Amino acid sequence: MSSDRGIVATGAFVPRLRLDGDEIEAAWGTSAPVARAAVPAADEDALTMAVAAGRDAIASSRFEASAVDHLAIGTTTPPLEEEEFGPRALAALGLESDSTLATATQSTVAGADAVLSAARADGPALAVVADAPAGDPGEAGQRVGAGAAAFLFAADGAVVLTDAATRSRDAPGIRFRESGSETVDGLDITTYERETIRDLVAGAVDALDVPADAVAAVALHQPTADIPHRIAKALPYDAEAVTRGTLVDEVGDAGAATSALGLLAALDASDPSSHVVAGCFGSGASATALAFEVRDPIRTGLSAALDGGVDVPYAQALRERGTIGETEVAGGGAHVSLPSWQRSIPQRYRLEAGRCPDCGAVAFPPEGACPDCHERVTFESVSLPRSGEIVAATVIGQGGAPPEFVPQQRRDGPFGVAIVEASAAGDSARFPVQLTDCDLDEVSVGDRVEARFRRIYSVEGVTRYGLKFAPE
Amino acid sequence: MTDAYIMGAGQSDFGSFPDESYRSLFDDAFDEAVASVDGDFDTDSIDEAFLGTLGVGGRQLGLSGPAVTEHLGLHGIPTTRVENACAASGYALRQAVMAVRSGMADVALAGGYEVMTDMSGDHTKWWLGVSGETEWERLSGTTFAGVYAQMASAYMREYGATKEDISRVAVKNHANGAQNPHAQLGFECSLEDAMNAPDVAAPLNLYHCCPTTDGASAALVASEEVARELSDAPVRVAGAGAASGRVGLFQRESLTGIPASETAAQRAYDEAGIEPDDLDFAEVHDCFAIAELAAYEDLGLCDRGEAPRLLREGVTDPDGDLPVNTSGGLKSKGHPIGATGTGQAVEAFSQLRGDAHVQVDGANVGLTHNVGGSGGGVTVHVFERADGGAR
Repeated sequence: MSSDRGIVATGAFVPRLRLDGDEIEAAWGTSAPVARAAVPAADEDALTMAVAAGRDAIASSRFEASAVDHLAIGTTTPPLEEEEFGPRALAALGLESDSTLATATQSTVAGADAVLSAARADGPALAVVADAPAGDPGEAGQRVGAGAAAFLFAADGAVVLTDAATRSRDAPGIRFRESGSETVDGLDITTYERETIRDLVAGAVDALDVPADAVAAVALHQPTADIPHRIAKALPYDAEAVTRGTLVDEVGDAGAATSALGLLAALDASDPSSHVVAGCFGSGASATALAFEVRDPIRTGLSAALDGGVDVPYAQALRERGTIGETEVAGGGAHVSLPSWQRSIPQRYRLEAGRCPDCGAVAFPPEGACPDCHERVTFESVSLPRSGEIVAATVIGQGGAPPEFVPQQRRDGPFGVAIVEASAAGDSARFPVQLTDCDLDEVSVGDRVEARFRRIYSVEGVTRYGLKFAPE
Repeated sequence: MTDAYIMGAGQSDFGSFPDESYRSLFDDAFDEAVASVDGDFDTDSIDEAFLGTLGVGGRQLGLSGPAVTEHLGLHGIPTTRVENACAASGYALRQAVMAVRSGMADVALAGGYEVMTDMSGDHTKWWLGVSGETEWERLSGTTFAGVYAQMASAYMREYGATKEDISRVAVKNHANGAQNPHAQLGFECSLEDAMNAPDVAAPLNLYHCCPTTDGASAALVASEEVARELSDAPVRVAGAGAASGRVGLFQRESLTGIPASETAAQRAYDEAGIEPDDLDFAEVHDCFAIAELAAYEDLGLCDRGEAPRLLREGVTDPDGDLPVNTSGGLKSKGHPIGATGTGQAVEAFSQLRGDAHVQVDGANVGLTHNVGGSGGGVTVHVFERADGGAR
């Protein structure tokens, strides 16, 4: 690890939908554990959020995606219990296929593992921490949120990782998920839990070689907003420094991503020459603490990710999450096989089109005869811009969706479908898209929209991902 | 080369018939077609059959054509099942015309059938919209109504057309269909009804969309010699035009019309040696109200953007200069996918023989326009009275 290797850019993503704590209070008659929580929409999961945050980090850096050669992902909620999802993130982010991959999971400390993996790699390396935990609606479900944070490490870092420390103890039962379950559980043994978390996190943080009086902000394990302050009682950091790195009341308990987003908040609040500390915890139990030195100002993108949220009623939050209303459509007619879909990944993820070498027309997808001169040609690859103009649009009402989209529609409601025309440098092509993240009453022909990587549909247990479009 | 003539045509009732099968429905259509032949017609003289169906629901997905003709007792004749989505039997008719013109058949049966309403809600979802472009259009979540709604959004934007303009299609076609005993939705609707129905895919609402339908239709295509022998008033197929287009709307140059309709129409007009002005009536493919507006323009009945005016001024009403969809169209008569093309020919046959339910005075030349999907395949047929004037 070269001494100047560090974070050169960061990215953040928080789902657009938000659930206010008042909704929890109204529904359950108890005070809400968090003030506000982000709600992953039916077409969002840890993978789509990881890609969104990762893209944000790369776009804020001097690097092309293809220059990044290591991807580390930390999450407690991979889309499937078994199967690599890193390759999909790699493809969606545009990294080369010989990039190395690391996946950290199994507990909320996974975020620190991913950051360490990227920090200790050689070339440009991206760490993404993305999570969307679920909980029983009467228990952890009242505080769960979602979000993602990304950290791009390379030479000449603005923020340098100066030290790391880990502590562990045989202490299960604080936050766990049984096999086959989608919801996190905990035994709620208050003193046992608080002491374990405090001992391990404070122990790891205390072991860091960092000038305590230069630490401006601290991001600690934060399933609720009180926990970081309880941990900090054993540390030489004041409440203000802890508050600067505490974000759970805005995004909810986003699993491994909460303290990672807290780290972004801490970086935002820190001037050059100050230090930032993170202390992550995973039930089982272990804690990993990270010390950073801020050398140059860094734009985290966090405030943009937090802005623009839309509050939803509690019932919608439950639908979006799939807590209620899950369905599937039996039977079968037209079916696009998985290999057919996979063959079109360059188009589905990256809008790779083809230019006709004879007449210059652009074909999307780039296959078959040229759409304009109708000659059978070998297309030259061109990438369409990820934004364009709606040239035709409609709304598929509740109950009207093609079967592949019935489960999503049940959860997310009516959706818009449009034909988008994307143009750049004289090249333009049209393609059909589904709209997302928008108020359907406010979208019409002529509007500008931009791409978002999302879940498209699932059949036979396999989710197809691709681009949807949202107002710019 | 001999000309091809329609000497008989018929259809089953269009509607929802849980007690019928695709074969029993075709029996009804065939019987009506045979009964419409004026002379003493022996069905054993049918040389070949071309039958259109999409195959909604699966059923007999392979070889349903032979299953139908064997069921009818047309034992052993060559039968080809034709699949071109909603234009399946428009193309089946074209095949029969080609068989007769080539001299390979003296009498060819063209027809179509579809059963769409006997499935569970889940199964129905899987079988609707299978003729849109699948890999991109459908898998962006676009339904069939959605594609036409997208066309409507572009059309309204381009020409300033209104929901009222589109709704007039429903009012006119329902008024016509109310006179047609075979129609599925044989009731009238007011402009207010048509404008205020719940949205299916905005801007298209329920009254802008055809229903799903069970039904069958058949036409007996014969050589000039046979037709003159067996029919008092055979109908000449004066022009048979057809064209293919890109299956996905997004793949086509125009979002407000159907290029293949334009090409197919031009080919049919050229072959028939007529201009659109020569038409006395037209049966056009109004699966969605916007499709009828686009058809007026694609078929050259008016200039681009002028379709709303034709509807507003009543030009295409039964008493207008060019009545369109006197049968009720797909909107009111119904749209049993594979049966629609020859179903339109049934109306043309009736009009030119003077026994249509909504009869156009002095009908000598008429047109049928059948669209597969949102425009991937189109047939246009021009028919004329063989006697050249009113009977």
